[in-house]
Amino acid sequence: MDNTSHLSAVPINIAAMLEGAHHPGAGAVVLFSGETRDNSQGRSVTHLDYEAQESMANKMIAEILNEAMVKWSLKLALACHRTGRVAIGETAVVVITAAAHRREAYAANQYIIDRIKYEAPIWKHEYFADGSSEWGANAENANKGELNE
Amino acid sequence: MTIQVYAALKDYFDTEFEITEPVHSVEELRTLLLKRNPGAEAIMPVCRFAVNDTFVDSQFQLKAHDAIHIIPPSSGG
Repeated sequence: MDNTSHLSAVPINIAAMLEGAHHPGAGAVVLFSGETRDNSQGRSVTHLDYEAQESMANKMIAEILNEAMVKWSLKLALACHRTGRVAIGETAVVVITAAAHRREAYAANQYIIDRIKYEAPIWKHEYFADGSSEWGANAENANKGELNE
Repeated sequence: MTIQVYAALKDYFDTEFEITEPVHSVEELRTLLLKRNPGAEAIMPVCRFAVNDTFVDSQFQLKAHDAIHIIPPSSGG
């Protein structure tokens, strides 16, 4: 049973995650950091606020990681997604994959982040410079198939 | 039964509320909620329903004490 939490209400310590991602059988470690942009669809963004259905999101991310471990024979797969307020330039989500070779590490990493973005019950609330805010949608949804290739 | 909603659905419903009307399926629940708040008609059809932390389909039979989560499309990352 994996009791690891894949959600964090405080800033993610990327260095500590990476430090724990080394494996004697892994010749490649890929780290993806999804970070908060200062703009969204032409509008100036001040910060994001993430909400999650935490028990389901945690379980789902664990399942996605396990599937990727098997599919690409990974040595390690880690992921952590922020909840709460995330400032511009801060990390909202981290995925680390470690494999014998880089091809598997890259492919698995992209697979994991795509599935987390589109399937895990996590939502971003975007706050704009003009004082307005709205619940975000993944702009790439329309191209989901292409992104997953 | 207890209903909990998230993200954009909170623009239309309380975060958590009780339903006392007799509804038997997810589909009936969806219809009832849209009757209560027609403004949610754009988002409700694209939401997924979960009972006790497991996604269920629209024909799923609900019980009086189920805890239901209504899950809008994800926008993480």
